[in-house]
Amino acid sequence: MKRRVLYMVFLSVLTVFAVSGPGFAEVLNIAIPQDPDSFDPVKTIAAATAEVAFNIYEGLVKATPAGGVEGALASSWTVNEAGTVYTFQLREAVFHDGTPVTPADVVSALNRARDPGVAVRAGELSMIKDVRAVERGVEIELAEPNGAFLYALAEVYASIYPAHASDLARRPIGTGPYYLEEWTPNQRLGLRRFDRHWSGETPYFEQANFLIIPDENSMVLNLKAGRVNVIPRLEASVLHQVENDPGITVLSFPMNVVQVFSINNARPPFDDLRVRRALALGVNREEILFGAAWGHGALLDSALSPSMAGFYNDQLREVNPYNPELAKELLKEAGQENLSFTLTLPANYPLHVQAGELVAQQWKALGLDVELQIVEWGTWLDRVYTQRDYDVSVIGLAGRLDPHAILVRYTTGNSRNFFNFSNERYDELIEEGLRAYGDERRSIYLEAQEILAKELPGVFVMDPPQLVAMAKGIQGFRNYPTYVVDVAGLYR
Amino acid sequence: MRQYLAQKTAGFLLTAVLVSIVTFFVVQILPGDPALLMLGTEATPEAYARLRQELNLDRPALERYLRWFWNFLQGEWGRSWRYALPVRDLAAQSFPLSLVLASLAVGVSLLAAVPAGILMAARPKSWPARFLSALTQVGMGLPQFWTGLLLIQVFAVKLGLLPAGGNASWAGFILPVLTLALPRTAVLSRFMRVGMSDALRQDYIRTAHAKGLSRPVVFFKHALRNGSLAVLTVAGLQFAQLLAGTIVVEQVFGLPGVGQLLLAGTLQRDLPLVQTVVMIVVLLILLFDLAFDLLLGLLDPRIRYE
Repeated sequence: MKRRVLYMVFLSVLTVFAVSGPGFAEVLNIAIPQDPDSFDPVKTIAAATAEVAFNIYEGLVKATPAGGVEGALASSWTVNEAGTVYTFQLREAVFHDGTPVTPADVVSALNRARDPGVAVRAGELSMIKDVRAVERGVEIELAEPNGAFLYALAEVYASIYPAHASDLARRPIGTGPYYLEEWTPNQRLGLRRFDRHWSGETPYFEQANFLIIPDENSMVLNLKAGRVNVIPRLEASVLHQVENDPGITVLSFPMNVVQVFSINNARPPFDDLRVRRALALGVNREEILFGAAWGHGALLDSALSPSMAGFYNDQLREVNPYNPELAKELLKEAGQENLSFTLTLPANYPLHVQAGELVAQQWKALGLDVELQIVEWGTWLDRVYTQRDYDVSVIGLAGRLDPHAILVRYTTGNSRNFFNFSNERYDELIEEGLRAYGDERRSIYLEAQEILAKELPGVFVMDPPQLVAMAKGIQGFRNYPTYVVDVAGLYR
Repeated sequence: MRQYLAQKTAGFLLTAVLVSIVTFFVVQILPGDPALLMLGTEATPEAYARLRQELNLDRPALERYLRWFWNFLQGEWGRSWRYALPVRDLAAQSFPLSLVLASLAVGVSLLAAVPAGILMAARPKSWPARFLSALTQVGMGLPQFWTGLLLIQVFAVKLGLLPAGGNASWAGFILPVLTLALPRTAVLSRFMRVGMSDALRQDYIRTAHAKGLSRPVVFFKHALRNGSLAVLTVAGLQFAQLLAGTIVVEQVFGLPGVGQLLLAGTLQRDLPLVQTVVMIVVLLILLFDLAFDLLLGLLDPRIRYE
């Protein structure tokens, strides 16, 4: 009996080693904190979905790490002189289910994506007037020239899937380098390499698992124990646990997120630019960068992150330098030396809460009375974002590939403008930006950023760091200005 | 007995209906709009209005409750908003896992707590008993996320013996079960000690000793039966509580149990998911309770006639 028990123990230890040791097929395990919402490209909203879906779906074009777009299912395209008709030539490609990609599939996917009765973000493709199938390609007609159009086609909602697909939410069918093999909610998404990808290239990892691990400490321990190979978004609070580990590489990239202390511009006394400017001058952003993000990340002066390299205005550093004396003077001038207000913080974002706690100290040093109010995310969205019933708050606004999609938020009357910011010249610029191309378009957005820095819908703080922790030996992590993990580029 | 059974069953049904009403309306009055939470900071009024319509949120609450309850009874549990999966599939995945976790955790706790409690009651002044008593103090104070992370650090990272998380193999259950069992063992062994020392002070024990029964017979045949009633009741409560999920342990070990499902559902105001899962949990606990009551009624006539 005793011997049998010992034997069992021995066997189980062996099993454990066999299970936790490296497998035979090349498998990559990536830790993410939560499940995707839906793999239907026109229904998904969560960034967590885009992160995984990038490997499964492709559009006519796709984003490049540098922030541009390149052909994906379209091998090339031409534009008519007026800039209103784009003709895309389709590649020879097959979907994950083996059927070939036809112009009819593209027409049906894009029409579905711009149908406001079905698609959550139909509005983002509203520039499209018509989509037609042509010989080995599609023709897309726009209502008027639009500089943001190609970028919009690279977003998840413009992904191409077969016209006959049903239940995309659970069973995505795309053309990407990986296909979804298995999805166990709250546990694992199993992706397998698609060997018939149009590029003919074979990614290194045959299998890629996205493991759901909500706790950031346990994510790090899983990386150390070898169960996880990559943590694409490491919480800054656990950075110290991996920083000096010889078995782990840590990379830091800008996230293309704009962290901003939003100010309710419609609510007195914040309608007075002097008060907003005083708040801006009273913020020591470096201290916040060190206190909340451990010194990683990039300081911001306006609403675009430096990762939007082609459009970023780098001349604004001196617009609002840290200057508490001047801030006090401005407050005095405005008759608001004893201003008291509420700073609303979203509890689910530790980074924003910490930044808020630090800034509250800095504003208190100006003699202001700042009351901190920490609210749950649902409450934040309801009260701050929708009702716009707040004084000052803080949030990170997710970046896009195209500056228009980011900057249009600050135009007068825009439904996402929870700053209640309004500036006539700014509105004009954003209108013009859509019709301009090249350098002209760039200079328009440079001026728009300058207006935001000077007129202050809020105080722009930083682009928080995207910290990537990987087991030593894993290489090829490609950073994009959008929220994705590009599995195909990784190798050991 | 028939009257007792009818009484208990009626109570069961009434509680179930009441709970369904409370669950539904509590989830409704939580601040935070499901459609808004799904759309986040990209929400536009058009998208918001359409999503509300799609989710039937534009219908009156009473109508939605009645429709949901009727569908629930028929086994039509609908689709989760958060996961875009049928609630039935999500439940079918997480309940068995939580059931296994709960059974193992309570089972292991009982196995450890009963002998420890007996020892502490039988020889309270001995060194092992004092040591165990101190250990139970510590055990009750251990925060689970801390124990869990510590166990991973030691057994998965340093020694590489056990997986750091997941339930890909049965070995993945060892650490979470230990994490859950430690504080519960501490509690149970204290109940066992109290129950045993109470039992040992009873007259019939003195009688048993007096009529010359051996010490083991007195202990295990006479005292243990009465002394373990409280422990079993507490263990039953612990089991019911674990059935409803163990958010912390599930999060630390990345296990897809009921706790994670409920947490994710609640944070997203996933009404179909939360209502249905809570309802199932409640029904399970009530059934468990009913069975326990009926069993006690069978065993002990005093309870039947109360």
